Order: sequence, then C-alpha cells, then structure tokens
Amino acid sequence: MLCEKCRIREANIKYTEIINGVKKEHNLCSQCAREMDFTGYSAIFDGEFPLGKLLSGLLGVGEEEEQQEDKLAQVVCPTCGTSYEEFVKNSRFGCSDCYSVFDLLMSDNIKKLQGGDAHVGKRPKYQKMQPASAVLEKDEEPSRRTAKEQIELLKAKLSTAIAEEEYEQAAKYRDEIRELEKEENQDA
Amino acid sequence: MLRWFEKAETSSGNIVYSRIRLARNWDGHMFPQKLSDEEGLDLVKRLEFGLKDLTQDDGRTYEYALLNDLKDLDRQALRERRILNSGTVAKKSPVGIILSEDEATSIVLNGDDHIRLQILAPGLHLEELWQRADRLDDYINARFPYAFDEKYGYLTSYPTNTGTGLRACAILHLPTLSMGKKFSNMLAELSRFGVTIRGVYGEGSENYGALYEVANQKTLGQSEKEIVELVTKIARQLDAQERKVRRMALENHRLEREDEAYKSYGILKYARRLTRKDAMIFLSQLMAGMADRLIRTEEPCSVYRLMLGIQTANLQKLSSKPLNQEELDVARAAYLRRELPLLREQIS
Repeated sequence: MLCEKCRIREANIKYTEIINGVKKEHNLCSQCAREMDFTGYSAIFDGEFPLGKLLSGLLGVGEEEEQQEDKLAQVVCPTCGTSYEEFVKNSRFGCSDCYSVFDLLMSDNIKKLQGGDAHVGKRPKYQKMQPASAVLEKDEEPSRRTAKEQIELLKAKLSTAIAEEEYEQAAKYRDEIRELEKEENQDA
Repeated sequence: MLRWFEKAETSSGNIVYSRIRLARNWDGHMFPQKLSDEEGLDLVKRLEFGLKDLTQDDGRTYEYALLNDLKDLDRQALRERRILNSGTVAKKSPVGIILSEDEATSIVLNGDDHIRLQILAPGLHLEELWQRADRLDDYINARFPYAFDEKYGYLTSYPTNTGTGLRACAILHLPTLSMGKKFSNMLAELSRFGVTIRGVYGEGSENYGALYEVANQKTLGQSEKEIVELVTKIARQLDAQERKVRRMALENHRLEREDEAYKSYGILKYARRLTRKDAMIFLSQLMAGMADRLIRTEEPCSVYRLMLGIQTANLQKLSSKPLNQEELDVARAAYLRRELPLLREQIS
C-alpha cells in the first residue's frame, strides 16, 4: 500500500487515531509520519523518548483540531511572551501568569498527566493568598498590576477562550476588558 | 567534616538513601528559562543574599557558589553525587548553589526553577526529610513570597512538578529481584500506584550496580504527606521482596553467594584496572554480600560511597592531569585498592 500522504513511498506505519470515539486509520510512510509528528512521533526516530516529548504529545492537539491551531498560535502570555506553540513544544511555562493564560487549554491535559487537577497539601505560610484568577478581582490587590497589564492578560485569556470555543468564558473576559478600558479612559 | 555518604552505614539494608526535593518559584519573577543572563544573575544574588544566614537557622555550615565559576569537572562531579541534574549542569546561564558541608542539603537557584531544595539521608527516612524540608521551605518563604495558585498549587516551570512541587525518592539496591524474569512487569505495574521506578545508572540490564530509584509520579492532587507515605510504602515493599528472594537464594545457594561476594572483594581489592561497568557489578555483589553478612570488613564501609567515588568525574578530580580511558581504569582500581578496608577474620 502507498503512503496516503505522499503517494510515492510504501506505507509502513499504521496510525490509528480515536478522537471522541471516532476511529480513523492512517497508512503512512515513515518520512511523512515524521513530518506530521503526531504525538511526538519523531522522538521514536531520534532514538529517544524524553518525558518532555511525551508531554508535548499529551498537551498537543490532534489533527481534528488543526483549524484551531491558527487561533491558538496567536495566544501569547503577555508577561513573559511564551506562545502556545512554544509551551506545547517545550512542555514548559515561562512565568506564573502562563498558568492562567493557558488554563483553559491545558487543564484537561494536566488532569490526565497528573491524575488530579487541584492542589491539596501545603500552602505558603508567609504570604497573602491570591489565586491566579484574582488578577480579575482587582479590588483585592489593586497595586499588583496596572490596569493596562490586566487588560493584556485578559486579552490573552480571551483568545484562549475563543480558540477553545468557551464562549461563555470569552464573553466574561470581553466584558471585563470593556469595564477596565472604560475605567482607564475615565481616569485619563 | 564527612559528607553524608561517607559516614559508615548504620543499617546495611537494601534502601541506600532517600531524597526529598521541592521546587519553588519567587512570585513576580519570570521562570529561569525566560530570564536574561543579567536578570538571572541578579535573581541569584538576591536569593543568596536573602538566604545568607541559613547557618544560624539550622546550625549547618553552608557554602555559596555560582555554578558558572566552577570547572566543568566539578559540575559533573556534583551531578554524579546527585546534587545537580544533567539539565542544570549543561545550563550556560547563571545558576547558584547553596550546599551544606555534608552535601545532604542543597539549594539550586535559577536552575529549572528559581529555588530547588533537596535533602538526602542514608536509609529510608522520607518522613523526617520532609519535615526538615518543610521547615526550610518556610524559612525561605518568610523571605521570598512564592508563586502559588489556589488551583495549581506551587507554580513551577514544568507542569509535571506543579502542585506540591515535591519529589520524594528512595534509592534501592535490588540485585536479586532485578535478575528475575518478572521484574520488568513489576516495574510497569508500579506506575498504577502512581510511582515511577528507574535504573540509577542506566536502563534494564544495563543498570550496572542494580540501584533503582522509586519516586512519586504525580505532584498535583496529593498532599505531601500522602506522597511521602506512598513512596515509603512502595520502597518498603520492594525491600521486603528483595529480602525474600535473597533469603531463598541464601538457603539454596549459600556457597555460590559466599563465593560471589569474596570473589568480588578479591577483584576490587587487587585488580590493576577496572572499567566502570565491572567495578559497579562487583561493588553491587559486595554490597549484597555485606548486607547478608556473608562477608565483613574490619572497619565499617559504605559501598555506596565507593560507587560514587569510581564515577568518572569524581575519579578524574583526584588526578592532577586529564586521564584517558585506560588511565581512568587504572586510577579506578587504585582508588578501590586504597579505599576498601581489609576483611575481618572469618570465623568458620
């Protein structure tokens, strides 16, 4: 059988994909398979399977969500400049704000990876508690971020929400941005 | 002052040492990977300054150093002694290290995370190590607020550490169990309990020395206490399994086991050159023989210390000039001849 992608080389890799219960089979040659690099596949060829790559496989997105990729690629953490693509590739956050920016995108995957998605256990003894989401509740910590920074962060979260088709969340962020922008204009 | 692994073993069980590691980040600063060299250096200096009075807190003497000022060989040697991980050794950007005199307590600054605290102790003492780490963690936290989130706990560079940021490990010597056919199945089974196990010096049958590291897989959704209890429980079970098969081997093949231990000792004590692989295999057999009281040295002897001592960088450090492969093998044999104590007169 020929590879379904290039139709030149013999297919020697059978890749079965089950997404939401829908099973798809692909017959590919090793070169095309490597180029597509689904689920960190190329790592096999590189002769190593580091945890990072495995993770990218878990955190990354399948073919079905390809059209989402473009939208997701635009999501960038305003604080440290880590893009979603960079995050998936390195399986690494750039700063603590990344957690709230990429929250919607990864919470399911983190749960898969970690088995749980909420922290239990020790909490810092000597600091004022504030959840990452508290950046939204600006009354609690007014000095921590300028309104401008908050808007930037909210915008990043908004694009994540849109990409994930979480429109309810997105609407919430949009309203918050409007609110903040209005306030800022008044101040000025 | 002796380093923690140089102290003669008190109990010669199969659990060589335990280790607690905490990953923390300073709130309001980008993670190390995103910092420029200047920012990284500034961060390291500020953290070091804030922690300069560690000695007054716990009475231990600490050394402060910038990893970048150390020679490559010294960095490698620190990796072999498990103070640094290979990622941190390779890092070109500023990394700080605070190391206690006995090397049991170390804090790596601006490595994978801003703060990585590690405490080691011979034997299985995760509970106590965690209590000490917890206290030290509070001490640091009183000076530096942490990046913390209600949902994701302590925020870390890697999503695999977020939550408690805690990695609890036990290093076990499993020479007999690991020879069994079912061993690889058993290792796979362990992941169902939420722990990982891997060879310290390589994978599968390549893991010369038969040292294995058990650690918790997850950091989110389990409390520190649960993690420590889990790893302790699994380590105890593996230890018990190893004891069981060793007891069986002793009952049925005592002469072979004795012979193995004495032959290993003989080679280690008198050989003129030894590869790392051979030395590890013989040291592992000697370690088992000593634990089973088949062979006894005049003075107490930590075989694990010898295992660390014969690793390339630590061996190279003893020599004034760079050694090639063959010279290393000669130096390794000489080191073992010098360091291995004499045998106690056999009463039989």
